[in-house]
Amino acid sequence: MYTWITNESDRAQWQAFVDAAKKKDPEFNLTLEGPSFNDYWTKVKTRLSSSGAPCIITTQAARAQELKDLTVPLDDMVKSNNVDVSMYNKAMIDGLTVDGSLRGIPYDAEPVVLYYNKDLLAAAGVKEPGLDYTTTQFTQDLKALTKDGVSGLAVPPGFGSGPGLPLAFANGNGPVKDGKLDLTNEGLVKDQQFAFDLVAKDKVGNPPQASDGTDVPEQQFMSGKAAMIIDGPWMYETLTTKTQGKVGIAVVPSTSGKSVGMIQGSAFAIAASCKDKEAAFKNIMKITTPEVVGAVGAARGTVPSVESAVKDWAGNKPAADVSVVESLLKSGRPLVTTPNWNQVETNFSQYSGEGFRGSKSAREIFSTIANSAK
Amino acid sequence: MTALPTLAVKNAKKPARVTGHGKLAAVYLAPGMLGFLIFIVVPLVASLVISLFDWPLFGAPKFVGLDNYVRMLSGDPVFWTVLGNTLFFAVCYTVLNLVLALALSTWLHSLGGWGPFFRVLFFIPVVTPMVANALVWRLMLTDDGVVNSFLANFGIHGPSWLSDSQLAMGSLIVMSVWQGIGYNIIVLGAGLNGISPNLLEAARIDGAGALQRFFRVVLPMLSPSLFFCTVMTIIGSFKVFTQPYLLTLGGPGESTNTIVLYLYRNGFSFDKLGYASALAWALFVIVMLITALQFSQQKRLVNYDN
Repeated sequence: MYTWITNESDRAQWQAFVDAAKKKDPEFNLTLEGPSFNDYWTKVKTRLSSSGAPCIITTQAARAQELKDLTVPLDDMVKSNNVDVSMYNKAMIDGLTVDGSLRGIPYDAEPVVLYYNKDLLAAAGVKEPGLDYTTTQFTQDLKALTKDGVSGLAVPPGFGSGPGLPLAFANGNGPVKDGKLDLTNEGLVKDQQFAFDLVAKDKVGNPPQASDGTDVPEQQFMSGKAAMIIDGPWMYETLTTKTQGKVGIAVVPSTSGKSVGMIQGSAFAIAASCKDKEAAFKNIMKITTPEVVGAVGAARGTVPSVESAVKDWAGNKPAADVSVVESLLKSGRPLVTTPNWNQVETNFSQYSGEGFRGSKSAREIFSTIANSAK
Repeated sequence: MTALPTLAVKNAKKPARVTGHGKLAAVYLAPGMLGFLIFIVVPLVASLVISLFDWPLFGAPKFVGLDNYVRMLSGDPVFWTVLGNTLFFAVCYTVLNLVLALALSTWLHSLGGWGPFFRVLFFIPVVTPMVANALVWRLMLTDDGVVNSFLANFGIHGPSWLSDSQLAMGSLIVMSVWQGIGYNIIVLGAGLNGISPNLLEAARIDGAGALQRFFRVVLPMLSPSLFFCTVMTIIGSFKVFTQPYLLTLGGPGESTNTIVLYLYRNGFSFDKLGYASALAWALFVIVMLITALQFSQQKRLVNYDN
């Protein structure tokens, strides 16, 4: 399988799939290879065009459009193998459907959340957020938390990784309209500007460098140098166990306080170059059963794509954290993008430093990216 | 000096032996020529063909004629920005590299026994993988990295070396000079070793001071090595990729985006192989013209009289 392996946490997650599938089929095995998450979307294209390319690849609902020429439609195999697609998260299935055909079987459906360091909040006298969190309160809290060498918010340079895009989703805005890139819509521009201003004007976070991976802000959070970070539930296990201080999660703040979740889910797909697609599909089905995705969710914190398995994920977690994810799952929308999304992401990382430093506005940056991505 | 004409005359009298030598030469040259054909000529021609197409990595290519070139020259402001960045990098990097390499190699030459030891020290970054070097420099130049921590000891609040558009390119140039200077130090050091001490001694006897000896004797005698270093350094500087890719990702904005990074992105990240090929040809033409200009001035600037 060709997938992203950014760090040991990623490798442990993929191994958890193999281990869970082995419980039912001891002979089952899966060889893993791949680059970091940031490099994956560039390298998967060249890897699949080379000889001996792997049959199974990972994709996302957000990238299904972009990788459609690399993957095969699964509808016929779903039918012939009597797979009940309705058991998977509907938002994910919608996101993975390109031009009317399904391109991947999802293993998770993860609404992006706000992680906070309980100890730092308590020390700053800030009340822990929960299911209702307004951007006004968020700004006040971040200001209160920014002191003594600690930043309120850890900030990555990427678009999808936030904080701008999850904040826009929380307010019901997004970057795509009717299948086309819509970066300059008022809502998105305003929400991204809010995110830029948090750093450039309110100084509640350090401006990121373009080449920073998501691991850089995550390290800031884990080391206690930042009190909050917007990230996916797939980081739950790592962030809750490796952070200096206790960690809680809340919804991503919105203007009204009623947040819409940005569902970032991933899936297994079959490479168009695969010689034995039927065998690849059967292997995918072994690692996306409710039992397997539930077991991986329990072990690694990824929110299962199968609703009936969410209880396995919730089993050992605090009720408050579970309610946050369940609430966002109910209100959430999948991040569906366009075929040129990699260009948008790359350009945004390149330009976001200027936004977070205040030398360019969100509108200027989005206009440049929109023109470049034509 | 008389052996070669004699051999040529002998060979001219024995055409059968010439054929034998020719065949042997062809056999020896075949692997190299085959490699040149497969890895240079074929990709070169292929990229020229691809540049005339709208060619995604996957999916059907579409013939667009010269559209990619027209877009590059008149419809893509980023191309002119990255070209300007690349030229700026090439000029600063080449001048800094050559001036420092010349100064350091002259100093090392004067050290005598310790010279080779320091040459090895300066050469280590050249043979260290560029990726490793770039990552170390990235850690050093981050906002709370080693450089700013050092400055903080003196009460100086260090700037954002890689995130400030005024400083990012300068940081890349400094890192690149550190990485590449050892090569020129070795070449210029070899050139200095080749200068006859008798010439310098004669100049000294004639009353030439240290500066006069350097500018009137050393520099002219070193001009073949300097010419080689200049040509190679300029060509290398136009191909700069790893440093902006790993240290700044071309940002902030387009401030450190270079033509090869832009070319790579268009080809492999943005799925525009045709446009990337057109960019590659633009780079090829620019480097070829600059190199041709240098060679046209070779007789005027380079002293080959030993």
